[in-house]
Amino acid sequence: MSARHFRSMVLPVVLVVLWQAWAMTLPAKSAAPSPAHVVKEFGALVSSGALPSATVQSLGRVVLGFVLGAMLGITTGALMGAFRSVHRNLDPIIETFRPVAAIAILPMVILWCGTGLLAAVAIVGYAAFFPLVINTAHGVSHVDRRLVQAALTMGVKPSTILRTVLLPAALPSIFVGARLAMGIAWTAIIAAELAVGAKAGGPGGSGGLGEMMFVDYSYSVDLNGIVVCMIVVGIVSLLIDRGFRAAERRLLAWRL
Amino acid sequence: MRRRRDVPSDPFSGPVDLIAMVPVASRSTQRNHAKQRLRRGIVIVAATAEGTRTTAGLPSRAWRGPYVLPRALVAVRSLLILLVIWQCASLWTGNPLLLPSPVGVVDALVDLLRSGELFDQASVSIARLMISLVVAMVLAIPLGLLMGLLPLVGEIIDPVIELLRPISGIAWIPLALFTFGIGGTLPIFIMSYAAFFPLLFNTIAGVRSVDARLVSAARSMGLRRSAIVLHVVLPASLPSVIVGLRLAIASGWTAIVAAELIGADSGVGFAIEWYRELLMSAKVLAFIVVIGLIGYSANLTITAVHRRLTPWAVTAELR
Repeated sequence: MSARHFRSMVLPVVLVVLWQAWAMTLPAKSAAPSPAHVVKEFGALVSSGALPSATVQSLGRVVLGFVLGAMLGITTGALMGAFRSVHRNLDPIIETFRPVAAIAILPMVILWCGTGLLAAVAIVGYAAFFPLVINTAHGVSHVDRRLVQAALTMGVKPSTILRTVLLPAALPSIFVGARLAMGIAWTAIIAAELAVGAKAGGPGGSGGLGEMMFVDYSYSVDLNGIVVCMIVVGIVSLLIDRGFRAAERRLLAWRL
Repeated sequence: MRRRRDVPSDPFSGPVDLIAMVPVASRSTQRNHAKQRLRRGIVIVAATAEGTRTTAGLPSRAWRGPYVLPRALVAVRSLLILLVIWQCASLWTGNPLLLPSPVGVVDALVDLLRSGELFDQASVSIARLMISLVVAMVLAIPLGLLMGLLPLVGEIIDPVIELLRPISGIAWIPLALFTFGIGGTLPIFIMSYAAFFPLLFNTIAGVRSVDARLVSAARSMGLRRSAIVLHVVLPASLPSVIVGLRLAIASGWTAIVAAELIGADSGVGFAIEWYRELLMSAKVLAFIVVIGLIGYSANLTITAVHRRLTPWAVTAELR
């Protein structure tokens, strides 16, 4: 182990040891989480299948909503990037809604779509839409004009140019948007599940990691379970980020 | 008032616009304009080498494309169309509970303004935003300076930051509910957490990107280390810190609304949830409008601060 590795391990290990030591000074009945209990709880939740199913449920919602948001966002963004008139007309509307966080429209979404899959997809789609539309529009409108002019010279129709020249050339920017969108979407779905769990009351409200956390908080008062969920939330968002970066490197190798 | 479209003088710069770039002969809008001009007796004489055309009677005015509305008017028109569609949709639904009309929302806004409730809830949330920004800055900027200046400190602390960062502020809500209970501390904690990371990363990046020649120059003039940090490193990394502040406000404002919605007894996030339970949709939408407005003006404020404090580093991306 190199000195560099050693230095990077020091603080996390010290913190976990301190946390465990602090937890051991507490009375045995205390609800406070400790590393040992968290590991035990993690094993129990995995072997009972509750944790994998909640994770898959949350992820499924995010993927569905993301696909919807990406279809809308990339189409709108491409049109906005390629045609200045579309940009001028749609930009004010998009900028009006952009500061309104997905979680803030949750109450209206619950009114319209209930608390089921539809609501989750709407929230995630809304959250994913904005980074995608903005990055796609930016990418498409900053494509080298000479590429477009070359295509025009060869007599390509504008609609074909959009599909075959502008969109591929804007892919790096679209990928950045997609990565941001997926990160925001993952946060939004956890928040939405938490809020629905908190307001619908009782287990079985919505399912997913967020609801699992809330049930652990308010019904079983199991802080170790909450910490397990937090760690899973972190691992999933790390994997999403790394996955998108790896895909970027592979698919956009020509960029470098 | 109508204005002419500005065509960039350099054909290789500026944003792509497929319509503007398609050859003139195949563009129906321009053909129509040309026909109108011909009918009015103005003769298009020649196409210059640059592709801009001059008209006979007005040699000084180059033909600069079709008339377009100024940006602000287009924005107003778009938003008006949106409002009309919304009004029609609410008439069609016929249920103010499901979709209140824009008029109803404005009514609700006026009501809330008059009763002072809007001001109360908004000021609570804004105060929380300010407090947590200060907390995050006090923690993140010195830590970022340390981590950026001393590689060893960076190497030791970085793993912990990288472990915590993927866990979003919102995921801390249940644990924070347990620790702090429902009330004002929880949103401040969540927001400080959410604002901490962008501030820290941008401070580190800012410190590391300070021009080494500036530091060497200061050192050769005999400045002490503390003076170099205070007078060279800090100002030079300020633009990056302000960008971090901007990101921090964006992610923090989202987090604060979520935190208030779940675990507070005041603030705009609490208000939308409260009125949803009372099924007063117009007031829910009114508060959503307020949330958007506060988020928007926070962003405007930080952009103004950016222009004011670090005018040399304002990029085109920052509007």
